[in-house]
Amino acid sequence: MTRFQRFPTAPARLVLAWRAAALVAAALIVGVLLALSGRDVFVLGELVLHSTVGSRFGLEDLALFMTPLVLTGAAVTVTSRIGLWNIGGEGQFYLGAIGAAGVGLYLPGPQIVVLPLMALAAIACGMAWIIVPTLARAYAGVSEIITTLLLNFVAGLLTYWLATGPWRDRVTGALASSGRISDAIPELWGVVHWGFPLSLAIAAGLAAIMTWTGWGYEVRVSGANPGAARYAGMPMRGRVIAVMLLSGALAALAGMFEVAGTVHRLQGGMADNFGYLGIVVAVLARRSCLAVIPAALLMALILDAGIVLQTQQLAATAVLAITGLVLLLIAIGDELAHYRPVAPASSTRSGVAA
Amino acid sequence: MEMPAAAPGTPPVLQLVGICKYFPGVIANEDVSLDVRPGEILALLGENGAGKSTLMNVVTGIYQPDAGEMILDGYGTEFASPQEAIRAGVGMVHQHFKLVPAFTVAENIHLGWSETPRNASPAVLEARTQALSEQFGFPVNPSARVEDLSAGEQQRVEILRVLARRARLLILDEPTAVLTPAEARDLFSALRAFRAGGNAVIIISHKLDEVMEISDRVTILRGGRNVGTWETRECSPRMLAATMVGREIVPQDMRARAEGAAPRGAAPELSLRSVSVRDERGIETLSDVTLDVFGGEILGIAGVAGNGQRELTEVLTGLLSPEQGEVLLGGRTAAPGADAFARSGVGHIPQDRLHSALAPSLGTTDNMALREYRAPPIGGSGLFRADAALALAREIAGVAEVRIPDFGAPVRNLSGGNQQRLVARREMRIASRVLVAAYPSRGLDIGAIATMHRYFAELRDKGVAIVLVSEDLEELLNLSDRIGVMFHGRLMATLDAEDADIERIGLLMGGRNMGEDAASGGGVA
Ligand SMILES: Nc1ncnc2c1ncn2[C@@H]1O[C@H](COP(=O)(O)OP(=O)(O)OP(=O)(O)O)[C@@H](O)[C@H]1O
Ligand SMILES: [Mg+2]
Repeated sequence: MTRFQRFPTAPARLVLAWRAAALVAAALIVGVLLALSGRDVFVLGELVLHSTVGSRFGLEDLALFMTPLVLTGAAVTVTSRIGLWNIGGEGQFYLGAIGAAGVGLYLPGPQIVVLPLMALAAIACGMAWIIVPTLARAYAGVSEIITTLLLNFVAGLLTYWLATGPWRDRVTGALASSGRISDAIPELWGVVHWGFPLSLAIAAGLAAIMTWTGWGYEVRVSGANPGAARYAGMPMRGRVIAVMLLSGALAALAGMFEVAGTVHRLQGGMADNFGYLGIVVAVLARRSCLAVIPAALLMALILDAGIVLQTQQLAATAVLAITGLVLLLIAIGDELAHYRPVAPASSTRSGVAA
Repeated sequence: MEMPAAAPGTPPVLQLVGICKYFPGVIANEDVSLDVRPGEILALLGENGAGKSTLMNVVTGIYQPDAGEMILDGYGTEFASPQEAIRAGVGMVHQHFKLVPAFTVAENIHLGWSETPRNASPAVLEARTQALSEQFGFPVNPSARVEDLSAGEQQRVEILRVLARRARLLILDEPTAVLTPAEARDLFSALRAFRAGGNAVIIISHKLDEVMEISDRVTILRGGRNVGTWETRECSPRMLAATMVGREIVPQDMRARAEGAAPRGAAPELSLRSVSVRDERGIETLSDVTLDVFGGEILGIAGVAGNGQRELTEVLTGLLSPEQGEVLLGGRTAAPGADAFARSGVGHIPQDRLHSALAPSLGTTDNMALREYRAPPIGGSGLFRADAALALAREIAGVAEVRIPDFGAPVRNLSGGNQQRLVARREMRIASRVLVAAYPSRGLDIGAIATMHRYFAELRDKGVAIVLVSEDLEELLNLSDRIGVMFHGRLMATLDAEDADIERIGLLMGGRNMGEDAASGGGVA
């Protein structure tokens, strides 16, 4: 008789295996439900595959979705390493977009100068947006979850105000949108711009910093046990402030990439939940900056497939339900990865002794 | 005291038959059989990592056995969770408390209990708690927050929580490790009353005197196996120690210095000058303390826990900056901060290793790097070299004699004593000038205590200044050159160990200061 026992740690390969199983299970459940409601599952399935990974346009779309998701996912992941949660990625995304658009709209100059300035302005705005929650956390112990979340709504409204008010498009009269920004991140492959490889490099760089630097080690220890960090004389407060500001900068950079790479305007509602989805990406990545990349890919696939299904007259709510199902099954898979079979005693004995 | 014998034929409360429990790479329990009878106190002994806590976690449903059977009142049982175990009358108080610090005593008692009245007001819960407290003879303050309680008070809450759920078998994992002697006495009389009611107790302890005093029978584990069960009255501490460790432990006089040992330094390594500290509430926890520690000596600090020892060790190691007074390191004003102290060679074995000396969820490698990650080979130019950290962790585990199956696995998976050994060794490594050790033998088995004492003596002979905070007067008298006594945040007196005796220290610990001591009190004249 084989028993299963829950272990406190889940090895990465088990997590991967269970997640793959979860995705298959989700596909089966959705397929059966769609078939029951009288749809041709195979036609739909083929269409989804074709318009995501099966065609050049699909792949380009995926990369465009992934770019902001990698950055907002990394933004949440870095804070989770020190035991905090930046729920304000959405707001910092907007501020990054505002900063970038401000420079792009009103600071003429050669592209080679303007683009880096746009990025710097975005980073500065994103950091400014998170500075109050950061200081409240570091000096007064105020939960950053609430403060960062509340600022999202302010940032969303601020963007609408700018896009419909002072910065509104006076040329084409597009609704809730600024004028077109002429400086754009150069394209690399079809519509995929250089922001995509840059975001991947940033995630990889963060992973290296977290694992291979003393700073990353201090962040790790501070997150695991603040008492031990104090005992070892680590500058906890400084690390909290640095990590939160870094997080704000990452989310803001996502906003800048979106403005300068994809949308070329400041638009109301343009964050499109990328900030919140970053939280999901971070949860999927289980605190690893490197794992943010595949997690963002998965999230992008889900989003993209959802859009395809919507074009096939599937209700938006049904698409949302499917997304929820996928995430739920993955969460179940993650939990199952903690269980390992414990062989009956006789065989284990020799196994342990070996 | 007569043995409350059970009627012949009464089944044991609990019988274990051939229990096995394995972790990846570790045999925690192998083929363990034992029984506990109604109306007895069974002591469970064994070295660090012998599998005592694991066995009891199996009994209470935290772990499932990989093989073997558990028989409760004559019927085979399996517990899927601690909740099931307590419903069947088996309750445990763990080595590391599991209360919710921000909740009140009454809330903790009623948390997750089927008999908690629904939507009850705090007043109702507190009244119920008061009634339970009187019923079982464990005085607690129902409205106090758990985080404000002393270790002994927290433990009373834990025990009351278990007893309230009508436990008939109470399991205590190293209950006296954090208790003052007076608190331990209270605990023991409560346990005797519990036993007189026909209930059973399993108690895990490393303190052999206590085992001799409180238990009826003793079971010893070694390397996960049961090596035997004895009637306590047929045992002696020496025989128990030898059976546990597998060799004789010969008590040594540690005050004798080795040949060629560094003499006591001429100038103090670490000094406090009229140091006072207040807590957040403005209460003075350290009052006007002046002391000197010289290289090549061991300064013992005696006192009932909670009389300023924690603050004293934190000031001595740079964790706490005093409000008044001065801390001198090698005669000069010390740069503030725990990091600066550590870098100038001050090691610190703190009293609560899980809360401050270790990050329980990180691996052994990360935890052993805590003191040395800033400098090469691990640190340097901002880097963290994981391979060098792993090499350091292997080295520390080697001298600490702790076998670690996986250096990346969370350090909380190690046994309590093995965690303590690792912390002690890590700190001894950096203590080139001063070692401040608070209750360093808590949770260690006697073999490990003897080894650590020997190592302290070696450090002293090398010229390191050692501050040893302990409640165990024998330990202090055996090791220290001088003994300071703390009471209510004051250093009552510093005595030469030669003319200190247990009675005199005891009086000072109780705050009674005889006239002549006042003159020599307040540190080295
Ligand atoms: N969850 C776990 N995962 C892996 N190994 C474990 C786990 N729990 C315990 N062990 C291992 O099992 C062995 C027995 O540990 P246990 O805690 O039972 O010892 P103990 O007798 O209580 O020791 P101590 O006196 O130090 O508290 C140790 O080697 C420990 O590292
Ligand atoms: Mg234990």
